[in-house]
Amino acid sequence: MITKKISKLDHIPIEIVEQVKKSVINTFASICGEEPLYIEKPDKSGPLNGMIGNIAVFNTEKTLSLMLAIPKETALSLSEIFIGMELPFESDDMGDLIGEISNILAGDVAANIEKVGFRGQSSLPTATRGSDLTLFMPNKPPTEEMKFSGSTGEFWLNMALSESK
Amino acid sequence: MGKIKALVVDDSKIMRSAVKRALDQLMVAEFEYVEAMDGQDALDKFNDDIQIMFVDWNMPNMTGVEFSRAVRDQGAKIPIIMVTAEKSMGKVDKALNEGGANEYITKPFTADKMYKAISRYIDEDGNMIGDSEEESEKKSFFSGILKS
Repeated sequence: MITKKISKLDHIPIEIVEQVKKSVINTFASICGEEPLYIEKPDKSGPLNGMIGNIAVFNTEKTLSLMLAIPKETALSLSEIFIGMELPFESDDMGDLIGEISNILAGDVAANIEKVGFRGQSSLPTATRGSDLTLFMPNKPPTEEMKFSGSTGEFWLNMALSESK
Repeated sequence: MGKIKALVVDDSKIMRSAVKRALDQLMVAEFEYVEAMDGQDALDKFNDDIQIMFVDWNMPNMTGVEFSRAVRDQGAKIPIIMVTAEKSMGKVDKALNEGGANEYITKPFTADKMYKAISRYIDEDGNMIGDSEEESEKKSFFSGILKS
């Protein structure tokens, strides 16, 4: 049972990881019209010049945090596809877009991980923009990092599973 | 082509633009838009001129389901189309049953999805189906209740 697996919190169950991977592929396929490629065993990601969309799927016990790390060039391409024109990278609208893509992703993740026993709701998204961004996980919860490459460029999805406070 | 006043509710300006763009591209009616960025803002802007609503779910201050429930509790019968990232069947049921929404489309949506959602409510002349003097009188009555 997945509830027993995640009660230990030393790793993210493979069932959840696989569902999140499916959701990333579904979400970007529906936005871009083409499935992104999941990159097996990528090099460790370095500091990011781009945007990070943050959102979580949570219940009273556990929180699955999702961090969508999108390089600047990928974000610009996404804006062109999503709204039909390239948004200025430094604009509020770009932050809105990345937040909304994170929102769409979280909706798909919530629906998919419910199938494997994790029932939760989505938080509101936030977006961060910067030129030397590094993700830190205080208290070191179990994490997974996934890299994808699509028609708009490459991006990462990092996830962490922690206790809900 | 008929003129329809639509309330578009989403905390994302990008998504409000996407809804408006999809509706304009369908060319089924001439839409006039009122925009709101959350459920409370939508309640403040709702009036008896609004003929159809496009409502997001996940918003600060008041969710789309809470907003839809509030307008239904006051007797408003206009079509409510939920436009949301939430996809699980439980959420769909909640929007339609608890929230009183008429239709539910998931993001990202295509023009085809949007058309299927609204086609039951707009006739071929671009007017709301069932729009009549009687309906207009009902709207004015309920508007008085909402504003009191």
